Amino acid sequence: MNSKPKADAATKATVSLPTKNGITLKVNGAVKQIEIAPWTTLLDALREHLGLTGTKKGCDHGQCGACTVLVNGKRITSCLTLAIMHDGAEVTTIEGLAEGEVLHPLQKAFVEHDAFQCGYCTPGQICSAVGLLREGKAKSPEDIRELMSGNICRCGAYANIVAAIEQVSRMGERGDEE
Amino acid sequence: MGDRPAGVIGEKVERIGSRERLLGKASFAADIDLPEAVHLVAVRSERPHARIVGIDVSRAQHISECLRVFTAEDVPGRNRVGIIRKDQPLLADDKVRCIGDPVALVAAETLEAAREAAAAIRVEYEDISALFDPEEALRPGAPLVHADGNLLGRRTVKRGNPEAAFKHADVVVERVYTTAHLEHAYLEPDAGLGYMDGSTLVIHASTQNPHYDQKDVAELLGLDEGSVRIIQAATGGGFGSKLDLNVQGFVGLAAYLLNRPARMVYTREEAFLCTPKRHPLTIAYKSAANRDGRLLAADIRVVGDTGAYASYGPAVLNRVALHATGPYELPNLFVESVLAYTNNPTAGAMRGFGVPQIAFAHESQMDLLAAALGMSPLEIRLRNCYRIGSLTASGQELTGSVGIRATLDAVAPQYAAAVRERNGTVSGHIRRGVGIGSMMYGIGNTGQQNPATAHLELTLDGGVVLYSGAADVGQGSSTVLAQIAAAELGLQPEAIRTVIADTLLTTSAGATSASRQTYISGNAVLDAARKLKEVLLTEAADMLKFDRAKVILEHGSVRAVRDADRSVSFAEIARRCHKLGMPLKWQGFFDPDTTPLDLETGQGVPYATYAFATHVAEVSVDTLTGEVRCLRVVAAHDVGKAVNPQGVHGQICGGVAMGIGFALMEEFVPGQTESLKDYHIPSAADMPEVIPIIVEDPEPTGPFGAKGVGEPALVPTAPAILNAIADALGVRIYDLPAGLERVLQAALSARKP
Ligand code: FES
Ligand code: FES
Repeated sequence: MNSKPKADAATKATVSLPTKNGITLKVNGAVKQIEIAPWTTLLDALREHLGLTGTKKGCDHGQCGACTVLVNGKRITSCLTLAIMHDGAEVTTIEGLAEGEVLHPLQKAFVEHDAFQCGYCTPGQICSAVGLLREGKAKSPEDIRELMSGNICRCGAYANIVAAIEQVSRMGERGDEE
Repeated sequence: MGDRPAGVIGEKVERIGSRERLLGKASFAADIDLPEAVHLVAVRSERPHARIVGIDVSRAQHISECLRVFTAEDVPGRNRVGIIRKDQPLLADDKVRCIGDPVALVAAETLEAAREAAAAIRVEYEDISALFDPEEALRPGAPLVHADGNLLGRRTVKRGNPEAAFKHADVVVERVYTTAHLEHAYLEPDAGLGYMDGSTLVIHASTQNPHYDQKDVAELLGLDEGSVRIIQAATGGGFGSKLDLNVQGFVGLAAYLLNRPARMVYTREEAFLCTPKRHPLTIAYKSAANRDGRLLAADIRVVGDTGAYASYGPAVLNRVALHATGPYELPNLFVESVLAYTNNPTAGAMRGFGVPQIAFAHESQMDLLAAALGMSPLEIRLRNCYRIGSLTASGQELTGSVGIRATLDAVAPQYAAAVRERNGTVSGHIRRGVGIGSMMYGIGNTGQQNPATAHLELTLDGGVVLYSGAADVGQGSSTVLAQIAAAELGLQPEAIRTVIADTLLTTSAGATSASRQTYISGNAVLDAARKLKEVLLTEAADMLKFDRAKVILEHGSVRAVRDADRSVSFAEIARRCHKLGMPLKWQGFFDPDTTPLDLETGQGVPYATYAFATHVAEVSVDTLTGEVRCLRVVAAHDVGKAVNPQGVHGQICGGVAMGIGFALMEEFVPGQTESLKDYHIPSAADMPEVIPIIVEDPEPTGPFGAKGVGEPALVPTAPAILNAIADALGVRIYDLPAGLERVLQAALSARKP
């Protein structure tokens, strides 16, 4: 799960290897079939093959959290995992949280608390927060800070991010149930 | 009166662009889909200083999906870029000056092929001895990074007679401070996309400075400016780094020469390797005071490493010298600040242009002087801080909006409480400390013209469109500018449509740097809004057959003051003006009042206004592990007027986060640091409680009294934390960052008798 194909691995592959595999993902409720190279990360599958660019790439090595999505309800950094390992899984990205025009409670709380500046970390922060609330482990602002520490925000909107999550957590919101 | 509706200036408004960002729909440069785009990868130097003997691209050309390899010879125009000095080749020609210098650019059908081709290119080098130390670079006979010498520049500031004053001083403190290279680590790695639209080259860029990009790309390609259009994509932070060209020149070159769309996205490693850093400075600081704590003199000498290219080095050099005293009167002063080229990574603009570094020194000095005099840190600052009528280091008389004292007063109760609490908390190896840090910051570029323009358009349906070239990189300028226009026009900010940072549709607002957009672009927008308002009032008075002085703007119409029924809508006015053949677009302009600095003495009026701030930091220091926890930061900022208080709070909290990184953890080691794996920036878990306090000492020339806060937010945090660590340990750290080892060492030396 934590093994990341080296960028070079892609370039070294020779023509004789089977280069494409078909997989099925249920993304934001819709069933999608894609043909991808086996070393394609879930992040690249979402961005490059499914056109879901809401999920961001900040480092491609699990160091920033910008690529966080929910796989079968659990938050993961999608750059650190291969798409092929999730054949058949349900994936929720930032594009799948609102219901039409109605924002997800966390999205609403992020606006209310001004929990972002440039917004590049925001999709990852929100997906991570949905996963966090579902885990049910965050009891206090300190817990939230600790358990959200994998999601970097260089603009430093942390205080507002934590406040937004806390508010939703107090509302008893368990996150989006897909 | 209905003229200034509530809910506009000083009120909470939703950030422009919020919804797209929350829904994952904002288009950052790497998100823009053009399936036929070619992918670009640069071949970068692995040598710090070497002559290029040859570039063998033959193996790359055999890779089937590789389309073309570009080298310096392919650059059709002037192969030099740089905002202040054109000293950086887009693609290295004769030699490379640092690791990461681009030598060739590969265009291929797929990213994989581009990478493979880049790896297949062989560059033959002949090494030249390399320089990694600015002092060495300045020695006679040192190898030359650039043909005209290794000195980037020197700025001196001279006032009074420091030598004589030192002789009469009661206390003199002399110390040397050092700071490290820092990486901006904006979360969005640089990216861009270029394509030809007829004969126009269009580039979607992650940028802070679209109108500068336009000029440099045009000159690179030998095109006229009008043939290049830069559109700022949603930009994931910049903090100064995205003032320089990143990928714009590359995507422009490829799109133009191949006549195909071209995209380039840096990996995090590439962004670390080849984008500018914060200048590491060595600051020798000597300052003196008399018995009652009044500062008498300072002698400050700064040497910094500007790396391979000029970037914003000249601006940093000036700013460091002019801010070297901090917000304190110093009648006798000598400052020299020098930057030298080396073969290290280029250092450029990073939030504060050298002021965070120099503030660390001047604030440490203040505490040292206070300690020598047995005075409290707060008291010595109160005794010396600027007030109306004070003369700055450049001899500029401050005539208004000098809120430094107010920021000190604002934190005083918390400071006293924190000191009491610290005295009551003694627990074995965990020590508590409280520190204070103050600063001033000149808004706008230093001692030179730096105008902004903006336009407002009245549409036939009565809508108002704001056109501004000011790149919003997350700091919230678009929202603030819309608020300013709305306030003047009696509208709500949501009623203003914004067109931002597109060189075809907007005119230049100058760079998003130097905390200048609220003040300078804000004034330009206000100027345009006043012109539009003038027309609205005049036309409405005529249409209503009513006294011009007795009509007001309200919710998109103009009405008689005492008779709400007598009104005409903006739409009616627009249609009438249109019929009369009047243009419906107004230009606003503002250029702050500054004068150039005297070359020898540094005297002059470098900035039209200054922001001020004071932070109080509380820390706990584990004397066994060296771990410092920042527990609370109280941050008082004189912003003149907070147009968008929530945005100001956001800037302050973000500045504190960056300040914590600067103080405690961030260090980019050239040749070693690769990515976020070995460059740690603060996470949520590192954050203290932050208590922002907005102080409003209105700036008479500011829009609604506003100044700025983007960079000031960061400046006082590290000094306050370092002073707090010194308070906790009784031993001071002079080198940043104060990482575990340095703190542990200090703790150990504190234990020695
Ligand atoms: S992009 Fe996946 S953690 Fe940074
Ligand atoms: S909002 Fe910019 S990185 Fe978080």
